[in-house]
Amino acid sequence: MPKATSLVEEYAAFQERMRAFSRIVTTKAPIAQSPKTQVWALNKARLFRYTPHHESMHPHRIPLLLVFAIMNRPYILDLRPGHSFVEFMVGKGYDVYLLDWGSPGIEDKNMKFDDYALEYLPRAIRKMKQISESNEFSMLGWCIGAIITTIYAALRPDDGLRNLLLLTAPLDFSNRSGLTFAKWTDEKYFDLEKVLTAYGNMPGEMIDYGAKSLKPVENWVGNYCKLWDNLDNPRAVEAWQAMNTWVTDNIPMAGAAYRQLITEFYRNNLLIQNQLHIRNELVNLSHIRASLLTVIAEGDHITPPCQSEAILHKVSSTDKQVYRIPGGHIGIMAGSSAHRITWPHIEAWLGARSN
Amino acid sequence: MVDVKQDTGKAPDPFEPFREMRDAYLDAMSKTMVEAVNSESYAKASGAMLDWSLTATGPFREAMDKSMLQAMQQLSLPSRQEIAALAERFTNLELRVDDLDAKLDRVLDLLAQMRPTPPAEQTDSRERPAGEAK
Repeated sequence: MPKATSLVEEYAAFQERMRAFSRIVTTKAPIAQSPKTQVWALNKARLFRYTPHHESMHPHRIPLLLVFAIMNRPYILDLRPGHSFVEFMVGKGYDVYLLDWGSPGIEDKNMKFDDYALEYLPRAIRKMKQISESNEFSMLGWCIGAIITTIYAALRPDDGLRNLLLLTAPLDFSNRSGLTFAKWTDEKYFDLEKVLTAYGNMPGEMIDYGAKSLKPVENWVGNYCKLWDNLDNPRAVEAWQAMNTWVTDNIPMAGAAYRQLITEFYRNNLLIQNQLHIRNELVNLSHIRASLLTVIAEGDHITPPCQSEAILHKVSSTDKQVYRIPGGHIGIMAGSSAHRITWPHIEAWLGARSN
Repeated sequence: MVDVKQDTGKAPDPFEPFREMRDAYLDAMSKTMVEAVNSESYAKASGAMLDWSLTATGPFREAMDKSMLQAMQQLSLPSRQEIAALAERFTNLELRVDDLDAKLDRVLDLLAQMRPTPPAEQTDSRERPAGEAK
């Protein structure tokens, strides 16, 4: 029989554990710590240049532009010191730039992929080329950012794009039975116009709810069990809190861009069939000639592998590779093994093509 | 339990004995739920729920928007739409400024190219054999 004093002690320890759990869940971790300078801005978009570890330390001549999705914060690429893709690439001697699309307001509800790909991205690229004094550049697009970079690469093949890296790129929507989002947003069930009339932009909370609903038990229960189990492990807690800070920092998606995503991509799959028009220009993927690396997450439930494979057969690039990694949509770049598996592979591929 | 705490430095966790059972349950639930959300019936139900909530809240939202617009007009304050329109105009201005910035950069580049070659380089080119200069 346990003594009454030990029971009291255990209860006090349990209460302390609960307090720690509550504090971690409800507070934000310090993230996006790599030193950087804002070099360009337009509307909500910002272009940042990361400060090299040592001045004039850029052994790789060609700068690298990182383009993330328009409905999430891009600092997942610079999550926390010691576990940041940006920090890793800067440490390897790359001149790294990050395009932050910002959070659209109601005044941006008419922004489309056309604007992102042909208005904002080319201007940011111009500024990056000017600063880095290089006519060539590499570009990494992740998730919806990969759609934007692919459109740009197809429409502006002569702008100096040398290397194109696509991470978990949702480009092919033909396998509708394998795409849960495609089922949910089918016109039979989902009244797109009603949602956009009500909200203008697609609320970040709704996007987040949709993403989490793909794996409800893991996201709403398992995730917190994992934290509870690791409360005594400061490193695990730090990693969990940084990721939770990013996951809960939701931003809306511009209404017109969301309409395009659902109708032209999910419902009609125009891009991969070379039928998509952006500002009256046909997006012909065979115009892409840059070296291409497509990174596929084998366990991706947001962008299943089938969405990223077809691009390889559509481009004219002679130098193209696909790299498959076990892991999820975000985990392959921000998970605990990213610094051992994904980042070195990307760096090795890019390093051989950046001088 | 107290001894365990002293050995490992960990605070006691009353759920420890149930952890394996919990994980097994969550695994099973996860598979079931993934199948459920991937079904046509879930898509139909979630669409209907969203549609119902938008239909139910629509009249209230419209009434609120109208009354807010009237209140703003009464107070001589700009409405949300007017602020949004102003923000759009600012963005257009920013685009123009960015265009000007690009043009200015091109002009500066051209000026740099037209700049006379420094004397040291001129001497070098004069000293270079004619064939090599080409």
